[in-house]
Amino acid sequence: MFHWLERNPFFFAVGVFLVIAYAGVVTILPDFMETARPVVGTKPYTVLELAGRQVYIKDSCNACHSQLIRPFKSETDRYGMYSLSGEFAYDRPFLWGSKRTGPDLMRVGNYRTSDWHEYHMLDPISVVPGSIMPAYKHMFKNTADIDTAYAEALTVKKVFNTPYDQPDMPKLGTHEEAKKAVMEEAALIVADMKSQEVKEAFKRGEIKEIVALIAYLNSLK
Amino acid sequence: MNWLNDNVNALSLLGAAAILILTFFVVGKYMKQMKTDKASGELAKENWDGIGEYKNALPIGWALSFLGTIAWAAWYFLAGYPLASYSQLGEYNQEVKSYNTKFESKFANPDKATLMAMGEGVFLVQCAPCHGVTGDGMNGKALNLSKWGNEEAIVASILNGSKGSDYPLGEMPAGLLDAESAKAVAAYVMQEVSVVKKSKNPALVETGKALWATCAACHGEDGKGMAGSAPDLSVYGDAKFVVNVLGTGKKGMIGNMPKFNDGRLTNVQKTAVGAYVSSLAK
Repeated sequence: MFHWLERNPFFFAVGVFLVIAYAGVVTILPDFMETARPVVGTKPYTVLELAGRQVYIKDSCNACHSQLIRPFKSETDRYGMYSLSGEFAYDRPFLWGSKRTGPDLMRVGNYRTSDWHEYHMLDPISVVPGSIMPAYKHMFKNTADIDTAYAEALTVKKVFNTPYDQPDMPKLGTHEEAKKAVMEEAALIVADMKSQEVKEAFKRGEIKEIVALIAYLNSLK
Repeated sequence: MNWLNDNVNALSLLGAAAILILTFFVVGKYMKQMKTDKASGELAKENWDGIGEYKNALPIGWALSFLGTIAWAAWYFLAGYPLASYSQLGEYNQEVKSYNTKFESKFANPDKATLMAMGEGVFLVQCAPCHGVTGDGMNGKALNLSKWGNEEAIVASILNGSKGSDYPLGEMPAGLLDAESAKAVAAYVMQEVSVVKKSKNPALVETGKALWATCAACHGEDGKGMAGSAPDLSVYGDAKFVVNVLGTGKKGMIGNMPKFNDGRLTNVQKTAVGAYVSSLAK
């Protein structure tokens, strides 16, 4: 019946491809369709949080910290509810990480606060004795790149239909509106911080990287 | 010859003998066939560098088992897999459920020592990152818990004010009373209102009672906080007060303490932390 196939290497290859692809389709697609939708309550990042996320990526936090809680009691006791794939719907790229030198940060916003992060980034050992995490003092000096973060948000809104500017979702608006919203959001975090350097910079209209990073870490819930 | 009495050894020997005999016959059959057999049958059209292939029917046993595996796969996809499937979340749920059942029965009525041990464990994981391993607040990064739950702490709260637990009546302004009056009210709160029922300055209790009206405006005549409108001072110095703080969190003068009401701690664990934190107070 299939002798003709043996004389046609091209169609034989097509047949082999179909057989193997079928296995992939039935195992991957249904699960993917079901679980890749955003979980109810998951929101895209605000511009300030995105700027912080870029700092997180730039300083390779994900090399030591994962953002994926597995469904084991030992993990949910320590880090909170296990992760669902729909919670990463607006993460571009995802920051699951593959190694935990430090603890998981998937829900760090639930149990750490702005002032703790400030102490910790400035001098980790001052709050966690024996910590091997390096200090990130330069985050108090470098200014966060808000314009790039806005560009990123606008891009994902246009290209991937990320639901900015929709009811109950973060507002993006024009560049000017977004800058104003970023300042308002940053003001709340700066008010919780102790560093005079950061406070004075904020009065001049500069948002330091640490402020953006704290906004991002606080948003991880 | 003891080893022959062992079932496994005997079976293995029997199997080895069977394989040897079968091999002998099968090899013999094919050796004979190679000597005498001639190729025959209808050749298929395809041909690779002169090497052809006969059009032979599939062996019956092979064809049947091939069809059988297809039928089995259809059954497995449609019926077998979803019914008998393993689920990681299912295993997780079972693990949590059995643990919680065990936890509840084991710690249904914990004694003081059990509570303290549990409280210390929870404290080191959940509280120590900010309050420090010893609860000293790490040089002012968080509240020094050894300076809590006593009259000095009440005086400090009255003089400096207190805020950040989101009670409906809002924050307590600084300087409602002067230092002397604050000391007297603290004595009254410790001896008459709180669970401690003992003051360092019993002589001041009466004076404090007279001044209580300022505090009663929010905390109520009985100091119970008017049904959740302000902190309940009748449990001051007790584990329950700590449990209340765990529930409200605090965005106070020193820093911001998160709420612990997301189910991370069970009620027993909260009480245990309360007992442990109360014990740190001097």
